[in-house]
Amino acid sequence: MAKTIMVIDDSASIRQVVNLTLKKAGYDVIEACDGQDAISKLQGQKINLMICDVNMPNMDGISFLKNVKTNTSYRFTPVIMLTTESQENKKQEGKMAGAKAWVVKPFKPEQMLEAISKLIVP
Amino acid sequence: MDIELGQARQTFMTESAELLEEMENVLLSLEKNPGDADTINSLFRSAHTIKGASGILGMETVEKFTHLVENLLSNVRDGAFTLTSATIELLLECRDHTKTLIELAASDAAVPALTEIKEAGLTERLSALLVKKEEVPEKRAVKGPVTDTPESGRLSSTDAWHISLRFGPDVLRSGMDPASFISYLGKLGEIISISTLFDSIPGVEDMDPETCYLGFEIDFKSDFDKKAIEGVFEFVREDCMIAILPPHSRVESYVDLIRDLPEDTVLLGEILVKGGALTKTELDEALSLQKSSEAASDGSKRLIGEIFVTEGMVQSDIVDAALEKQKKTQETRSKEARTIRVDADKLDGLINLVGELVIASANIDQQAQRVKDAWLLESASSMLRLVEEIRDTSMKIRMVPIGETFSRFNRVVRDISRDTGKEIALEIKGGETELDKTVVEKISDPLMHIVRNAADHGIEKAEARASAGKPVIGTIRLNAFHDAGSITIEITDDGRGLNKKRILEKAIGQGLLAPGQQYSDSEIFRVIFEPGFSTAESVTKLSGRGVGMDVVKRNIEALRGSVDVESVEGSGTVVRIRLPLTLAIIDGFRVGVAGSSYVIPLDMVVECVELPESEREGNRSSYINLRGEVLPYVRLKRYFGLEGKDARYENIIIVRYGSAKIGLVVDELFGEVQTVIKSLSKAYKEIKGISGATIMGNGEVALILDIPRLIEAVERAAA
Repeated sequence: MAKTIMVIDDSASIRQVVNLTLKKAGYDVIEACDGQDAISKLQGQKINLMICDVNMPNMDGISFLKNVKTNTSYRFTPVIMLTTESQENKKQEGKMAGAKAWVVKPFKPEQMLEAISKLIVP
Repeated sequence: MDIELGQARQTFMTESAELLEEMENVLLSLEKNPGDADTINSLFRSAHTIKGASGILGMETVEKFTHLVENLLSNVRDGAFTLTSATIELLLECRDHTKTLIELAASDAAVPALTEIKEAGLTERLSALLVKKEEVPEKRAVKGPVTDTPESGRLSSTDAWHISLRFGPDVLRSGMDPASFISYLGKLGEIISISTLFDSIPGVEDMDPETCYLGFEIDFKSDFDKKAIEGVFEFVREDCMIAILPPHSRVESYVDLIRDLPEDTVLLGEILVKGGALTKTELDEALSLQKSSEAASDGSKRLIGEIFVTEGMVQSDIVDAALEKQKKTQETRSKEARTIRVDADKLDGLINLVGELVIASANIDQQAQRVKDAWLLESASSMLRLVEEIRDTSMKIRMVPIGETFSRFNRVVRDISRDTGKEIALEIKGGETELDKTVVEKISDPLMHIVRNAADHGIEKAEARASAGKPVIGTIRLNAFHDAGSITIEITDDGRGLNKKRILEKAIGQGLLAPGQQYSDSEIFRVIFEPGFSTAESVTKLSGRGVGMDVVKRNIEALRGSVDVESVEGSGTVVRIRLPLTLAIIDGFRVGVAGSSYVIPLDMVVECVELPESEREGNRSSYINLRGEVLPYVRLKRYFGLEGKDARYENIIIVRYGSAKIGLVVDELFGEVQTVIKSLSKAYKEIKGISGATIMGNGEVALILDIPRLIEAVERAAA
């Protein structure tokens, strides 16, 4: 069964690129445009991995992560955080919240796939 | 780029248009109400999103530019920088420029020059505002084998990386699956053996199912480097204990690599990281281990090299190599530290004073001799000796090796060989030979000219060389060495040599040599130093205009040096430059001619003999037989046109310069003197045979003989 990955980013074009990349690699994709949207879409879904931007309106990536870690259904789900090199302090904050996997924007599609395959067995 | 990505681009266009619109509004509102944190944040987010998305979509121009804007905004957001109306104006311009860039990128059009100029201006203004110069992020080495040595591709099965892996207890809770890392590791190479360690798994009653107790020992065959292998565990690195030991066959290549590193760091850890044997993360880990052990065992520090080995980060052989490298670098460093930079003017001032001191002490010595007081004589002579030492030492301070000047020609020769399509190698010898700093500085231009000539005219094209049976690669040799109190610099090329016939024809044509005369090779070759002389049929960028060699000669003579050429047609040319060791103070030999004193540089004096009685009556230069050697000699009194009777016992001083020797007949010999050279005014420049003057201890002025010129004159007269 195909693995499902949730992509949370406020930029529609980034979502679209990641979506395409993942679909081509054989994953199912759920898109969400910010933390709140993601939480509302999580309900009961089976998610194998989440890719989450840090800087988003409404609910940012780190608040979302903290939220997920308290959710019994999803607290073991690996999360890849998207960041830019200029956000070192955000990264520290995220690490405190339990984010281990980081991918620096801009990234190439292959880089994203590589990071994913380090985290979930295909 | 496929259609789907094209769709993503379309989405980006709409998205960015919205974001830019928003940026504009926000900026305009900020102008009225600066310092609104929320507004600034949204401004930053817009720039950030455009940057991120454009990067992923491959719009490099947009990404690069918005990156700067984002940086500035991030500084504003963090409070490191406040927005002024000027900055807002700049940001508005940047916003407009971003729009242009996006439109250009969308239509795949090239960036027009005007836009580029605009961008350069904006970039400059942005960078000026950026408080902290940002560091280029270290690019993660993605893939690629480290060494291209053939053996690294075929590793024996026992010769593998060894990875010790202990997952941290929180790994599962962070959403990490140990199996996924090991499965990913399989993509970088072949896992030869893997054993799971169960020792740390507690009994069922104590076991927490959410805690990870797993450990693995893995033998792994891979051509990737340590950094790449460590990269597999990037996401769990902080929670795990990982030791990655390279295979044995790698040890040697690491050792070689470390040996070849440039000597720019003395830190052991950094040497190992540069050599690729250690990763940055490992180094940080070891350093914190060292710190904690230091704190634990009250001050006694664990050696960092030891930690590397005991923690299984690096093999001891590699650490040894790095230690050796460290020692070598430290030695070079300390050597550098032993030198100090001194203002050249201060040094010149010192040399001047030493010169005066030399004169004054010579004066004291003379006074002491006059008074004939034994004590005074004793102190005067010991002072004289000390002053002499001071003089020598202070002259040495000004001496620098010529090697640096020589090595500059590597680039010159390389450029010429590229421009002319010739293959030329430059060989340098005697770079450690020391010369006065001023001489080194002033000889650089003449040398450049000669080397260019050699490369451009001397060395033939590869085909010509091959058909002449010479090695295809032409060679230019630079050599410097001490020779009879002077420094000789030779520029040798194995090119086509000078065309004697053509030089002679041209020289006669230009009236430099008389037709029908017999000339020696050196006389003919000397013509190339005449102003305006050139045999080149065409003028190139490098040489051939007929100016140059005369300037070369003049510059060298200004340094009291000389230059000559030897050449064999078809097999090469040697240009030989002779230079005095120093410019300011020399040891001289004082002689008397017609009641006045003259000084001959002592280095050039070979010996003094009494003029044989048979020669007494001769009044023009002729020859003596010195132990079978026929030498031309000149009476200085006649040469300078002085009055006065010949002394009863005339002496002849044999002087040598380069390979030439002549005799100078003088009235009196006084012996050695220290001579501070004072140059003559321009009015006396044309007097041949005098190179300067000096003040003697008794205040008398003595002229310094210009031996090279005298030799030249005597040889010419004799011929």
